[in-house]
Amino acid sequence: MPVITRRGLLQASGLIVPSLAAPAYAQGAPPSKPDRIVVNASGGAMANFLRRAYFADFEREHGIRVIDTSPVDFGKLRAMVNSGNPEWTVTEIGGQDADRAREMNLVEPIDTSIVDLSKYPAIGRQSHIFVGSAYSTVLGFRSDVFKDGSHPKGWAEFWDVARFPGARSLRNHPVDNLEFALLADGVPMDKLYPLDMDRAFRKLDQIRPHIAVWWSTGAQPAQMLVDKEVVLATGWNGRFFELAKKNAPVGSEFRGGSLKSSAWGIPRGTRHAYWGQKFLQTMTNPKLQAIYATELSYAGLHPDTVNYVAEELRPLLPTAPANLAQQFWLDVAWWTENGARAQERWNRWMLQRG
Amino acid sequence: MSSPRAETPGANRRLMARRREAGLLLLGLPALLLLALVFAWPVLRLLSLSVEGGTLAHFEKAALDGLYVTVLLDSLRIAALVTAICLALAYPVAFWLSRAGRLGLALGMFALLLPFWTSVLVRTYAWMVLLGRNGIVNRMLRDAGWIEAPLPLLHNTTGVLIGMVHVLLPYMVLPIYAALLRVDPDLSRAAEGLGAPAWRSFLRVTFPLSLPGVSAGCALVFVLSLGFFITPALLGGGHVIMISMLIEQQVREFLEWPFAAALSTVLLLATLAIYALIGRLTRGARLATP
Amino acid sequence: MQLSVTGIIRRFGPVAALGGVDLDVAEGEFLTILGPSGSGKTTLLKAIAGFEIPDEGAVRLGGQDVTLAPPRSREVGMVFQNYALFPHMSVAQNIAFPLEMRRRPRAEVRERVAEALRLVELDSFGDRLPRQLSGGQQQRVALARAIVFNPRLLLLDEPFGALDRKLRESLQLEVRRLQRRLKLTTLFITHDQEEALIMSDRIAVMDKGRIQQIGLPGELYARPASRFVADFLGESNLLEGRARNGVAELAGFGAVPLPPAQPDGKVTLLLRPEALRIGASTAALPCRAEAVVLDTVFLGQSAKLRLQLDGGTEMLARLPLRPSDPPPPPEGSRVALGFAPEDLHVVPQG
Repeated sequence: MPVITRRGLLQASGLIVPSLAAPAYAQGAPPSKPDRIVVNASGGAMANFLRRAYFADFEREHGIRVIDTSPVDFGKLRAMVNSGNPEWTVTEIGGQDADRAREMNLVEPIDTSIVDLSKYPAIGRQSHIFVGSAYSTVLGFRSDVFKDGSHPKGWAEFWDVARFPGARSLRNHPVDNLEFALLADGVPMDKLYPLDMDRAFRKLDQIRPHIAVWWSTGAQPAQMLVDKEVVLATGWNGRFFELAKKNAPVGSEFRGGSLKSSAWGIPRGTRHAYWGQKFLQTMTNPKLQAIYATELSYAGLHPDTVNYVAEELRPLLPTAPANLAQQFWLDVAWWTENGARAQERWNRWMLQRG
Repeated sequence: MSSPRAETPGANRRLMARRREAGLLLLGLPALLLLALVFAWPVLRLLSLSVEGGTLAHFEKAALDGLYVTVLLDSLRIAALVTAICLALAYPVAFWLSRAGRLGLALGMFALLLPFWTSVLVRTYAWMVLLGRNGIVNRMLRDAGWIEAPLPLLHNTTGVLIGMVHVLLPYMVLPIYAALLRVDPDLSRAAEGLGAPAWRSFLRVTFPLSLPGVSAGCALVFVLSLGFFITPALLGGGHVIMISMLIEQQVREFLEWPFAAALSTVLLLATLAIYALIGRLTRGARLATP
Repeated sequence: MQLSVTGIIRRFGPVAALGGVDLDVAEGEFLTILGPSGSGKTTLLKAIAGFEIPDEGAVRLGGQDVTLAPPRSREVGMVFQNYALFPHMSVAQNIAFPLEMRRRPRAEVRERVAEALRLVELDSFGDRLPRQLSGGQQQRVALARAIVFNPRLLLLDEPFGALDRKLRESLQLEVRRLQRRLKLTTLFITHDQEEALIMSDRIAVMDKGRIQQIGLPGELYARPASRFVADFLGESNLLEGRARNGVAELAGFGAVPLPPAQPDGKVTLLLRPEALRIGASTAALPCRAEAVVLDTVFLGQSAKLRLQLDGGTEMLARLPLRPSDPPPPPEGSRVALGFAPEDLHVVPQG
């Protein structure tokens, strides 16, 4: 094939940057090994768990050091790609930005000849985005106030302040809350999108007087439940998982939970894109995913992962089959399209004193 | 004898003065360049961003939309409250520091600057632990039998004010302290010798002379208040919205730089207007006739 | 007595800034405390003004004990070294300040401020700010502010220190004139002996926290009670000798008769430079010597000569000069000198 031959020649003579020719690594020998790659993620405790689960294995297998940086920053990703020399080999991408990253041509396509997604469910088989793990916004509650399964199950009951009295907390953000409001109002899970904003805000009006705190960081709901500042709160399942492992009197309910996936991508034009693909392949390993899930409950999408997690922890994973069935996947596309409009309306709604 | 370079001594003097001015300018040049680079240039970029595409639509929205106007006014109100509380708390502290002995001064400054050693986020979480419904303050008040139901100290304007005042207090204390140090102690002595009781000597002499420090502190705290978003977001429990939170939202979440720039510009103009007002008021007060 | 200070002691740690001061100032009197820096004169002033509470002793003003009274109730006007004008108030507001503190009616305040401004010849400066005035003008404002409320006592703390010589001299006279006219009881503090001599009714010389001598300026000058006073006030030749039978043996001069009733033993004799004469006119004087001129300083109306006697003793002489007089002897020349024994003052041994 003359084209490939020429490309090979050009590549060999260094006239074009290899990454521009991607993803044609499969043909021929892998590019030479760098001594390090840079993986950008959320940082904090998560960085430790990523290292324990994936970085260590990747370093062992390939002899390439993984440097981790943080935080996740979409604007920086865009600036890096536009500058032509991304520092990151692989980066986590905020859930709502995943589609935009592809549309704005900021990430390399996933090379399925390296990254084996054959066993992944449909939601995990995307052209440019690798789904690292799934997490969910769920309902957290004080298990000493709502004993023996007497806690609200689902959003209609969360809204029912007569049966389930006490201060509540919701995130100060329209994402999830609009869905929860519609579910509370009786919209079936598979008919949520496109969201009926008018209806959602009308339903939110009802619960507003009972929301003591509109939280803005992930640590807040867990802390407020522990401090008994509120008795019911939405929150990311990992935070409640942590409390459950510490035997704090806080429980969580997956019914009506809003599933999201953590997105990973290879910045377009990064130097060691091939090794980025290799890194993502490491992340598909269900045994490694199980290590990560055991720490954080954020389980990867490989269907075998659950089997490697201790039995008593399985019900706490959002990806456990029983839990998956009760939750819905947040429609990232809808939010990409309507996020700004929803946010502005949310701000306006927050301003109405009431 | 006349100088060979200039016909008149006056011209000589002018030459010297010009040279000295040039020399002084040269000294300030690095700072000026740095300011131009890290301040003037970004501000200009911001301005140009806000009118990207040759449209004033972003400004129209930022300046006329009820949401943003309300939030802006709210932010100004909170900044003003924070400034007023800081002033009320800081003045006595600054006064005490300016009169304290060496040990008192060292201890006072240490206590005052201690909070700078911890991050704003940590301090904010600390306040959440202190001020919550079941927080330390409410528990103590309840144990003492002074209250029955917990006081709403957190997740409202009160919490925001407490947290912001805590962070910003040193910015008010230090300029006032510096201004008080510059007031000649003989002046209050003179006032007392001329028949003024201590409080009148303070009101008529020391206080007016410390006004430059007061106005510097107020301007500093006010402007810094307007830029806060973490503390109000956490301690306000979502019930308090600051304009900086909305600007941050536009930048981080929606990459709406032009609109964020327009909002920032409106905020900048409002801040400048208020700054000018403070300046005029205090200048007026300084020269006011009784 | 308008001001009466008795037995004042003020200690700072182990140091006694005031070691038992007694002082009386009569009504309308201008008394100067003269002393070097560190002599305790400022501490004394502060104790009188009320900014310093003495450890022991009493301060009485017009017969009333004010030792512990706060400054504001003492009715004492004070001019500070740096004037301490309120920089944010106009000249008129500065002067009105003590009247306002006494809650005088507005019309009276206006009238008295105008009068005080006239008194210090600053009629048209009422609206200026202190920083817009010259040093001398500021000083006059400070004076006006200190006297506008008719204080029982006026305290002046080295008020001319920051001014240039010419201005200082004219202000000294002005203040003195004003003080006489208003019959203000005044306590003036300075380290400048010339100033003290010009202005005072009486002078108290202070050193080491004590008053060394108090008296009329002429008295202090002619008959100092100690070496310190002799040295501090004016220029002096202090000659050491031994007295025996009413006669002292002085190096270079030989036997010099002493005032009657002078006991035998060591004596210190003061001879002011102007009492030392030079040249032909010395022929008739009983005490004579010869000396070499070390240097000559021409001062206009006089010349100051530093001389060395054959024995090595150095002496100062001041020659009055009229325009028609020949120039003073040049450096290196040999001159005859002499004095009248009645110009000698025996300084008490202390």
